[in-house]
Amino acid sequence: MTITFDRRQILVGAGALAALGPSLALPRAQAADGFPTKNMQVLIPTGEGGGVDQAARAFNRIWAKYLGANFEYSYFPGASGQVGYEVFVSKREPDAYNILFGNIGPEMIMYATQKVKYKYPEDFTYIGSMDVDDSVIWVAGNSKFKTIGDLVEEGKKREITLSTSRLPHPSTIGALALAEATGMKVRMIPYGGGGPARSAAITGEVDGCATFLSSSLGLGDQARFLTVFNETNRTPELTNNAPPVNQALGTKIPPLSGQRAIAIHTKAVEAYPDRVKKLSDTFQQVFADPEYKTVAEKAGTPWEFIQYGDAASCQESAKEFVELAERFRPLLTASKG
Amino acid sequence: MNLSFSLLADQFLLNFSYLWLIVIATTIGIIIGAMPGFGSANTIIMLLPFTLAVDVDVAMIFMVSLFVASHMGGGITSILLNIPGNGGSAATCLDGYPMAKKGLGQQALVLSFVASTVGGMVTALMSIFLLPYIARLAYYMHSVEMVVILLFGITLIASVASDNMLKGLIAGFLGLLIGAIGADHIYSTPRGTFGFIELYDGVPLIAVLIGVFAISEALIMMEQSSVLSETGMQMMKQSGWKETWEGVVMSFQRTWHMIWTGIIGLIIGIVPGAGASIAAFVAYQQSRLYSKTPEKYGTGIPEGVIAPESANNGCASGDLIPLLVIGVPGGTTAAVMLIVMTYHGVQLGPRLFIQNPGLGYGVFITMLVAYAVMLFTTLPLTRWVSKLVMIPTPVLAPIIIAFTLVGAFAPRAYMFDLWLTLLFGAIGYVCRKTGFNVVALLIGVILGPMLEANVMRALRISGNDPWVFFSSPVGNILWAALAISLAIPSIVQWRRNRATRIAAA
Repeated sequence: MTITFDRRQILVGAGALAALGPSLALPRAQAADGFPTKNMQVLIPTGEGGGVDQAARAFNRIWAKYLGANFEYSYFPGASGQVGYEVFVSKREPDAYNILFGNIGPEMIMYATQKVKYKYPEDFTYIGSMDVDDSVIWVAGNSKFKTIGDLVEEGKKREITLSTSRLPHPSTIGALALAEATGMKVRMIPYGGGGPARSAAITGEVDGCATFLSSSLGLGDQARFLTVFNETNRTPELTNNAPPVNQALGTKIPPLSGQRAIAIHTKAVEAYPDRVKKLSDTFQQVFADPEYKTVAEKAGTPWEFIQYGDAASCQESAKEFVELAERFRPLLTASKG
Repeated sequence: MNLSFSLLADQFLLNFSYLWLIVIATTIGIIIGAMPGFGSANTIIMLLPFTLAVDVDVAMIFMVSLFVASHMGGGITSILLNIPGNGGSAATCLDGYPMAKKGLGQQALVLSFVASTVGGMVTALMSIFLLPYIARLAYYMHSVEMVVILLFGITLIASVASDNMLKGLIAGFLGLLIGAIGADHIYSTPRGTFGFIELYDGVPLIAVLIGVFAISEALIMMEQSSVLSETGMQMMKQSGWKETWEGVVMSFQRTWHMIWTGIIGLIIGIVPGAGASIAAFVAYQQSRLYSKTPEKYGTGIPEGVIAPESANNGCASGDLIPLLVIGVPGGTTAAVMLIVMTYHGVQLGPRLFIQNPGLGYGVFITMLVAYAVMLFTTLPLTRWVSKLVMIPTPVLAPIIIAFTLVGAFAPRAYMFDLWLTLLFGAIGYVCRKTGFNVVALLIGVILGPMLEANVMRALRISGNDPWVFFSSPVGNILWAALAISLAIPSIVQWRRNRATRIAAA
């Protein structure tokens, strides 16, 4: 597997270890040999029972076999994930026993649009991702909109309202980019959580919902998927064959997918490279385990979405989302500048 | 939806075969419900390995029993110690604690248990037989309607503040200000947090509950030797099975009261994001409104215990309906249940009642059985549990402070929350000493953020058009009901004054 950390960070870490001298290096090495010797602490920057929680629990169930440790969870929702990240960076030991289970897309958009007290990648590093979940727009099963074209046409006459769990979200950017490309008018309504956002669309408070695909698959006939923000629809049979947005409308909107991923402190990457290697190696082993397919699907993630991503791909994705967020900053934040 | 009596009978039998599990789950639920800071969601999360390891039917029986029991348990400390176990039982303090201070704690506990049982059972039965229609209510309850429903609860500030309107309104306003702390609901911009990350998600309700109720109450207790008056102590010493029976009779003399306040809870519970706190406060407000003796509310009357307890248990049925019928959890505990059901491969939403109607309807059958079990296990205990108030306050107060501080720390494991709790304890103490109503403050803290979120959402949907609040037929009916509910006390008072004047003339 390929783990590509910032070379400068590794060198800084190695230099620091060397400077501390052999007397300190020995106990560290011994500790690393036995890693992990206690339970892993998982911080989830959203609430109990959400999509990340479900996916993390399914994944960790298998990961525990290879890592040789159990997982304990704590939840820090709030301010679109900012609370969780700030708690992780400032209040959790950078010892590689503390990991954050998040979603790169929404949380890097949050990072770019909110005033946060931490820096990426100086304070934390994504070391692997486990799936790719595409943004979608769907309407209630009984909605008059049958296709994304219908919605766009209506949006040229009046402002369409779309519920979303939070404004800093890839699906929000997808909807805004769609509006920019087609001339439709759209207003995003954040509900502070996926559940209320889905409920608002089903019960007709808003015209539709912009969200990640996997969280809406359980809605069955209550949701009619109109479009997918990716180059292909990987689960056409589950999404009434909704077309990819560019294919349906001739737009050039980039893929807007979320990647659930684990992060650890960058200081831990520097101080404990062997621990990080063990985390990364065992993380990747999970994907080859047939039992993971069973538990992932039970947790509501179609197997087509499960996709291993290494640290480099996570970093690339994070960078892309920061750039996208900068582009749509005035529409995602209270500042109009 | 495939409902048949044989299906219901099967579910009853299944539940009876797991009676031992229901007894365990309800016992855990009642204990955690009575402890501020410990909730059903946290407990189910902790016991998740168990729920994932057993069959989905068994997991549901366990979780539903624990969930409903936590609603019932919240009232115990509200009544005996003026300390609500959760937001849903805060309104129970208003009349429950005054009853306990008079030496009527045993009757108040019985009222609470019977009202919880009747409210929970009636709404569970309604849910079984009227599920498709009740579920449709969610289609009419949007942000606009929620704004009016929340205003019903917030007007309670004026009612509880009636002794000293100015101080009461100041306390309520302070509560609303405290509730506005945290990230805003649209852009997540932090407000009033003073840079504390611990406040970005708002002021934690548990810290406020424990501070203004438990800590301040413990401080007040330390100033006296006993919670009870001399007469109250004599009554408690002599209390026996007779008082339990009296409580049962008092409850069933108010059967209709238990039913309609339970239905208020059911309706509010169906709205995703609403919860037991709103249900209890709105039910209390409505109960007071239609009472012939509204001035007695807050002095320790049975109706003041029945209304919030019946409503917060009715809300338990309502909370689960969006989860089962549209696959969207109505609250945190329902969200955790969603994890378990999804793990077991259960398809939620309308298909549940086609593919697995036994599980869908079984949830409500479990509620019925759990309430019946709880009533039989808790009623005999009231005789002994109520004696808690006889413990001398120099012993009781430090125990309360120690236990509740653990409860303040437990949910988020922040030292910050401990300091915040002590701060609210000091605020609560000063409020009590100076005649500012702490319940008014609490109503502001609980309902304020929900009101703000719904107002902002409704305005955003409408493009900032304030007429949106009068744009829905259901909303307009609720507005009319709110106007009537505000006008009735004045009309009644005017008629009384007029009658007095005529009589004097």
